[in-house]
Amino acid sequence: MSIKAFELVPAIERFQLMSERALTKIVCIESCGKNIYIGTDDCFVVHYLMEEQTNQQTGKMTFTSQKIGHKYLGVKKPVLELKSASALNRLMILCDSTLSMMNMMDLEPVVGGAKIRAVTSFCVNAQPLNNSPFSVEICVALKRKSLQVYLITEDRIQLMKDISTSSPPISMALTGEHLCFATSDLYSIINIQTSQTQELFTFDESLKPTVTNISRGEFLLSAPSALGMFAMANGMSQRPPLRWSDNLLSVAYYHPYVLALNDEFVTIHSVLDQQQKQSLPFKGGCHLGHFDGRLFVASGRDVYALVPVPVQKQLQNLLSLQRVHEALDLARSALKTGALPTAAFQRIQLQVGFIEFAAQNFEEARQLFLSASLDVRELISLYPNMLPPTCPFTRQIPPLHDMADIVQVAQKDHSKICIFQEFLLEYLKEIDASSKNIPHKQEVHSALLKLYAELNPAALPAFIQSDRLCHSPDCIEHLKKHGCHHAIALLHCVHGDNTHALKIWTQIVDGELQDDSFPGFNFIVDFITKLKNETVVWENIDWLLEQDESMAVQVLISNQSSKSADKFHVDGLLERLSGYPIAMKSYLEFLVLEKELPVERFHTHLSVLYLDDVLQLMNSPTPNAAQIESARKKLQHLLQMSNLYRVQLILGKVKQTELYTECAILYAKLEEHDKALRLLVHKVKDYKTAEMYCLVNSSADDLALRGRLFHLLLSLYLDSNHERHESLVGPAIDLLNRNRHYFNTAKVLEMIPDNWSVGLLSHFLTSSIRQHLHQSRTVHLHRMLSRTHHLQLKSDNIRLDSAYITLKDDVLCSVCGRDFTDPSFARYPNGVIAHISCITSKHVCPVTGKLFGTAPTSSPSNQHSPSGDSR
Amino acid sequence: DLKVVIMGAASVGKTTIIHRYIEKRFQETISTIGASFSLKQWGPYNIALWDTAGEERFSGLSSFYCRGAGAAILAYDLTSDDSFHALRARFKGLLEAAEDDCLVVVVGTKLDMVTEENRAVPPQDAKALARELNTQQLTELPYFETSSLSGHNVDRLFEYIFQHCLPVNESGQAIAEPKNRKRSGTVDL
Repeated sequence: MSIKAFELVPAIERFQLMSERALTKIVCIESCGKNIYIGTDDCFVVHYLMEEQTNQQTGKMTFTSQKIGHKYLGVKKPVLELKSASALNRLMILCDSTLSMMNMMDLEPVVGGAKIRAVTSFCVNAQPLNNSPFSVEICVALKRKSLQVYLITEDRIQLMKDISTSSPPISMALTGEHLCFATSDLYSIINIQTSQTQELFTFDESLKPTVTNISRGEFLLSAPSALGMFAMANGMSQRPPLRWSDNLLSVAYYHPYVLALNDEFVTIHSVLDQQQKQSLPFKGGCHLGHFDGRLFVASGRDVYALVPVPVQKQLQNLLSLQRVHEALDLARSALKTGALPTAAFQRIQLQVGFIEFAAQNFEEARQLFLSASLDVRELISLYPNMLPPTCPFTRQIPPLHDMADIVQVAQKDHSKICIFQEFLLEYLKEIDASSKNIPHKQEVHSALLKLYAELNPAALPAFIQSDRLCHSPDCIEHLKKHGCHHAIALLHCVHGDNTHALKIWTQIVDGELQDDSFPGFNFIVDFITKLKNETVVWENIDWLLEQDESMAVQVLISNQSSKSADKFHVDGLLERLSGYPIAMKSYLEFLVLEKELPVERFHTHLSVLYLDDVLQLMNSPTPNAAQIESARKKLQHLLQMSNLYRVQLILGKVKQTELYTECAILYAKLEEHDKALRLLVHKVKDYKTAEMYCLVNSSADDLALRGRLFHLLLSLYLDSNHERHESLVGPAIDLLNRNRHYFNTAKVLEMIPDNWSVGLLSHFLTSSIRQHLHQSRTVHLHRMLSRTHHLQLKSDNIRLDSAYITLKDDVLCSVCGRDFTDPSFARYPNGVIAHISCITSKHVCPVTGKLFGTAPTSSPSNQHSPSGDSR
Repeated sequence: DLKVVIMGAASVGKTTIIHRYIEKRFQETISTIGASFSLKQWGPYNIALWDTAGEERFSGLSSFYCRGAGAAILAYDLTSDDSFHALRARFKGLLEAAEDDCLVVVVGTKLDMVTEENRAVPPQDAKALARELNTQQLTELPYFETSSLSGHNVDRLFEYIFQHCLPVNESGQAIAEPKNRKRSGTVDL
């Protein structure tokens, strides 16, 4: 709990006024600049001059003093208090209840200087209200229950304020307008300008009250039970009390410490945490004071200086004792007062941070590192192998901590090392997320990569793909060590080395490398697919085909669909696929069915493959009807849809099998409908299909062909040469009934065997007759309508022809503008009249260019061809 | 900002209740000398929690620390009749130093030790005291029975005080200007 904040250094030793009078004792001291004044119990004031020297090597301070002079005040009473006013060159002396002044240099009394009598104590205003530098404000406590404030100039003492108190004041301090004073049982604060009084607290009379000024408007008071109470001018306290020793003699404040003197010790307390920080044995002390930045303490015979230990040294002491909170408090306060530069403060923060770090108080460490903007490399360097070997970093000198690395801190305990690593991971993540341009990005990123590899390999892919700077051989080596091959591949890939990446992935799939984080074969497929790089596809296609033909084909297809596949390319590819039937088939399907390439070879090849499939399924020992059905559907669809394959070739193959439906399709392609229908009717016995065949193989426009096909089918049904023609009666009737409009009834009746009853055919016949009747009536109606139309036209024509035009002398040709001399002329329906020789076309008006019809026969009735007309 | 002072006879558990609230755990403490102090963030405000010494010799100082308080907690031991009477006898007078509209909360401590037999103070007596010490209109009677050992009612107690003196909404934003906002114990280190 103790630190060294101050050192006692002798200033004036074995004080002796005169050698023979050894009984003289020091009562009070005052220091101003190099001058030290001592007031004795036998009414002397002694003046010393003191030099301070600092030893360059040890940094220790020493004092040498020299006596300048002394003065006997001649009343045989002790000199109780001394205060200097250097600007006035005056020394104020309280002796024998009288406050007087003397010259600071020669100690002579001021000529004509006023004196104040019946004074028990006095103090100087630390922050005078009067701005003049050549005046001093003092407050004196008088024996008769009052306090007086005086303004002192070189030779005058002027009363400013008289304050009466309830009982005689004992101790006081004045700062600005706030005067804090103690009577025998009460502390009060009074505003000397407004006279507003605020009682603080009472105490019993056994206590010797002391009032010490801490800062403007804040006082430190001694309280019962050895407490030091802080009080603000408004009568409140902002800090908890200090605990100091009993029998307090004297108190001084030296930021941020309070020094308290009793008869055995000087104790030093911090106002920051109110704790005692140091205790210096000091027997027989009588006066402790803070004089313009210097602290002196006097015993009866000696004067010592209390030299503050530099803040840095105090901080280092605290840190070496691991008292981090005190160190931080002290450093913060020193930063505020300017005793510690910001850089040094940050260094302290870092040192504390590393102490917290070593103690695994990571949250504290994190905040300190962040607030002092730690060079991350300093932290990373604690973790073995985390910094890239190329990084030129060396740790700060002097070192911020005494750790070699975390392995040493964790004492090789693996779980502890993990905890440290997790801290680094979180810390670096935070740093990385904080801004885009963090310092030492490469170091941070490669350390993150390595940490992920060790702690959380699952997060590696996302990390790598977010464009981090961690592509160094050292990182890859590290990843390799932790078996993160997938991550290595990704790293290659992010930096454009796809070949290398694919090589690693293929090795993982082949089982040459082990990495559980690899998502699997499909990942490679996706990767290559997305890459759209032909070279890469070609390089890897063989391997892909070996792994999974259909996937490989998907890659090829997706790679190709983006651009038009040229023939040479396709041929080369097919050659490569020759060993892989599934791939081959899928690829051909793509070419034929999706891209619809008009290449005979592909169509034929695919047909043959389909056919082989069907045959293989049919010949298998356990034929699966559903499979066969679907395979045949595919084959049929292709045969039906495509017109490019070599029909003869396929037919040759199909003929040897029982695939009659397919055979029929092929015959249809050869337009051998008879054979095709025969197969369908006799072999397949699928009459619906046969009917469909007729519809499919003839276009709706070509009714003649369709009719022929239907008749062909009907004749097949009715073929009496066939042994089961009886069973075909039903289908024949159905056919007739369903498709009667394709049949020529007369022809059908000819074909129908004579033995059929009319009942069988009644439906067909009825509807046939109805249809014919309908047709006949429709035609009749049509004829009549046409005739009406014809008559209408004729009537119009006559009406137009019978109109006349009068041609007079003043009517001129619209084209040439001359007279008509000839009896023939041309007139257009819009009234334009011209010479026959002037017009170019009968149907185009020569003036307006209006078109009146393309041919005389198709001219509408209201448009009249020009014709000659005599006058 | 707000100054809250806790007062009561010796060893009723004043330091422990503050410790429970700040640190969220129970810890035996030694006798407080003079006073001690904690700072708590409440939304945008700073709350100064002053823990006073209960021993009689510090009574004079307690009144000093009471000065300017916007809320005072008068604590007594639920199992000790004397500690309750001390509130009237010694501490009621000290409240004069506090703000005029100071919220006074009467708090019984050590609820975990209370049984049917050893309860020394009937709740209605304590409630009567709470009613008597507060002049302003209150929605809820400022009386709580707490246990620092279990944490029972401790958070509720402090949140009641803060919410009354410095209303904040769910997200910690200040609601309007608190009507009895005080200038008080911010610490300038």
